This record gives sequence, C-alpha cells and structure tokens, in this order.
Amino acid sequence: MIINHPLLGPRDAAEFVYLGDASLIERPDWQADDAAEAFHAYGYLRDNPAGKHAELWYHEQGDRSWLVVTRDTTTHEITSVEMARDVARAKGRSK
Amino acid sequence: MPEYTLTSAAPLAGTDISVAGTRLMAPADLAIVSVALPLGEEKPAGKAIRAAYGVALPEVGKSSLAKDDSRLVRLGSDLAFVIFVHPTPDAERVVAARLKGAAYTTDQTDVWVALDLSGPSARRALERICPIDLHPDVFAIGDSARTMMEHLGTLIIRTGDDSYRLLSGSSSAGSFLHAIETSLANIT
Repeated sequence: MIINHPLLGPRDAAEFVYLGDASLIERPDWQADDAAEAFHAYGYLRDNPAGKHAELWYHEQGDRSWLVVTRDTTTHEITSVEMARDVARAKGRSK
Repeated sequence: MPEYTLTSAAPLAGTDISVAGTRLMAPADLAIVSVALPLGEEKPAGKAIRAAYGVALPEVGKSSLAKDDSRLVRLGSDLAFVIFVHPTPDAERVVAARLKGAAYTTDQTDVWVALDLSGPSARRALERICPIDLHPDVFAIGDSARTMMEHLGTLIIRTGDDSYRLLSGSSSAGSFLHAIETSLANIT
C-alpha cells in the first residue's frame, strides 16, 4: 500500500504506523459534566465501518508527522490524505 | 590507581570500500545539529537561518548548501538539520550562536553515522534497499528523504550526479554498514 503524503509524495506504508480511528483527535473536555461518559466513548466505542474510514497514521520512518488517511476498509483505496495538524486546526484548535 | 586516557572514536571511522568503481566511505568529523522552528515563530527563524548561512531554509524534502559547505536539510515542516565538518564537540553552540536564539538547536552528532556512496553504480547499489524513487528526474541533486533501508531509519541526500550521503543511527552503525556494503557488493 502506498500513502501519498501531502508534503513528501508517495511513500510505502511500511514507513508508517497505524493508530486507529481519526476521531481520537477529538479528545473530550475533561471538565464537562458528562466527562466520564464522554471519555468512555472516546476510549472504547468505535463504529468499525465496512467502507470509508478516516484514520490516523504516523510517519515514524519519515518526517514524524501525523496524517489523517481516508481509506476504504474493503478495498484499501485511499481517497484523501491530510496533515492531522491541519485537520485539528480546521476544527478550531489553536495549535 | 592506574590513569586512563579515553580517546573518542567514530563508529565507522576508516571505512573506505570500492566495488566496480563505486566508493563507499565514512566522512570524518561530521557534525549534525538539529534546528527546530518555534511554533508561530517560523518566519523569524527562517530569516535568521538565511542571515546566518546565506541560503534560504529549504522546502521539506530538499536541502541547500551554504557558502561555507554547511548543508541545511529540511526533514519536516518544523525541523531541519545543519550538517557540517566540525571536529570539536561544540557544534551545537556554534549553530546556536549563528542563529542568535531564533530556533531551538540540539546536538545530534553522536546519534548518527554517515556514509558517502559515489560512483557510476551508486544508484544500482541503492535500488534494492531504498524504498524511495531515486530516478535522477524524480530525486534531483540536493533532494533528501527520511526513509528506511533494511529496517534501519535512514536519511538519504543526493549530493551530486552519482553521489549520495546516507545517515543512520550510530547505535546500529555496524548493521547499517553491512546492509549498504552487501547491497554494493551485489552490483557485480
């Protein structure tokens, strides 16, 4: 599998480490009233779709960047690759 | 009590192998200093680098050669290496002084080992172990890439038409040399 890195171009998947669902970017507010339930969902509940799936990959043997890769879990077709930093900033995160 | 005198020795010092006109050697006295760009202060850091070295901070995947032969390699959006010949163990202070505090510097000299591969078969020697496309039209002179060769994290820089500088972790220097040496021997 080849991942087309937004900065570095196509790289072999062996250079990357897979983390999991990209929703891990959205860590709940620990001060919220429902923090316990929110963290339970954040830690354990996953949709596990057969099809399109946004997931986090870490370019460990490369520039050490985190990516959000949108991949079809049934065909391995990759439809988009974004820097996780850009995705988090687009969601209004300051840094 | 006996008195001991310790002498520092580079892991691959003295390596110089030639196979079919292609040479693999370990450059001496190479210093490596990492330059991390402060978050939100990337522009002033870039300006300080240009003022200190006379060349712009290269784009990710590129490197540039300063007038004093220091090579600036951009490893990621906020990280670069300065690679230069400097025999004394104070490379970080030298780079920090030149950048006047505009970026975070860390000495990486002893963490890496370097091998220079050059000659007409250099590309053939790398094609079995390097996952990066090294076609001359794709990987131009000055281009750099952090990847892995035989499972060892490697930084490759194209330094000339048929010459490459390879850097890998010094703790696995022997295995790294073995990997490159074996691949070089396989071209014949």
